[in-house]
Amino acid sequence: MTRRDWIKKAGKWGLMSLFMYPLYAFIVNVRVRPPEEVRVSTIPKGNEPVIEPQFALFETAKGPIAVSRQCTHLGCTINYKGHEKGFLCPCHQSHFSWDGRYISGPAKKDLPRFAVKRLEGGKGYIVEIPRGLP
Amino acid sequence: MSSFGRLAEYATAALLVSIVSGFVVAYQYEVADPFISCVAMEAAIPFGAFFRALHFWSSQAFFLLMWIHIAQSIPRLEKLKSSPRGRIYWAVLILGIVPSGVFALFSGYVLRWDATGKAAGTIAEHLLLDIPLAGRSLDRFFIAIANEGLDRVYAVHILLAALLWGIGTWYHTRRVFLKWNAWGLILASCGLVSTVFHAPIDIPQDMTSLIKGPWFFLGVQELLRYLPPLFAGVIYPAMPVMVLAGLPWTKDTKPWLWSIAGWGALYAGLVLIMCMRG
Ligand code: FES
Repeated sequence: MTRRDWIKKAGKWGLMSLFMYPLYAFIVNVRVRPPEEVRVSTIPKGNEPVIEPQFALFETAKGPIAVSRQCTHLGCTINYKGHEKGFLCPCHQSHFSWDGRYISGPAKKDLPRFAVKRLEGGKGYIVEIPRGLP
Repeated sequence: MSSFGRLAEYATAALLVSIVSGFVVAYQYEVADPFISCVAMEAAIPFGAFFRALHFWSSQAFFLLMWIHIAQSIPRLEKLKSSPRGRIYWAVLILGIVPSGVFALFSGYVLRWDATGKAAGTIAEHLLLDIPLAGRSLDRFFIAIANEGLDRVYAVHILLAALLWGIGTWYHTRRVFLKWNAWGLILASCGLVSTVFHAPIDIPQDMTSLIKGPWFFLGVQELLRYLPPLFAGVIYPAMPVMVLAGLPWTKDTKPWLWSIAGWGALYAGLVLIMCMRG
């Protein structure tokens, strides 16, 4: 290959990367979104939680807790099993206790909890769910 | 025409039916309300169930015909092997068509956003995120469900259709027209199947104990129970594609073909175990 060819080739690649970088930067950028606030108007009765699509809300002696329903293995939505007092993931069968502690299966990590605010006058709760990936 | 040529033509025809029916479905599909819009197509919109089924079955047909066509092409490798251009041509075809075909089919399951689709989508996103260094960027390019909902999956689903058509016709055969009989036969047979069998969609069910992914994903799903996600969900499924793409660089292709067959047998076994789980 002659020097001229090399320069031509380098020019082509240079030009291509010049276009690739803006494309890459445009696509990988994550727009910051405020956390989602979910209002729960039902009050959990006894040991039974209120099940919402993203979390399960329990009343405990120390106050309300909202346990995420997103499995820490690969993100499937886990289900609460009342008779076992725990969660089961339908994808690869990880088990968690009612308060989100890992018991068995491929997940290995506890379930995260979300911030909960109790509304005045027993009107329910506001649960704050961070958006996007942790 | 040889059976090789005919089958290739059917594969292209199936892709065309899949793309055209996909555009029809897109008129009533709502990415902001994916599940409800799919259910509405099934239950309320005239011919909705038919067009969904046509899109589903023609895509499945393309996927299967694509594999048969690849298998039929292997004896022709000897000719391609002799020149560097031929080797690159084969590798571009395999690496361009196979992952795109798999992801196009897979994203179709995700887009209906029922229990199976949701699980499949989130699993795929977490699998990508597990890839060291490039994981986050790959996720932004192809899935990004956690941040963008289904918007990106939808865009990529359509982009892949264009890519498959472009590589399959312009790059591969240098022609973009099809014989009427191939296209008519595929349209008629997929159409017939679609009038009888609906495209699947899960009925919302509370607290189910087991969700099974798309049929071709079941082996990965089973393996994910035992092995780390990066291996079970990324490296292991990529293995046969890499071997297939690298075939022209091998002296003796036989042992490599056997390794793909072994991989296939193991995968079929895993699928079977997953199918038997109740
Ligand atoms: S996603 Fe829950 S166990 Fe795999």
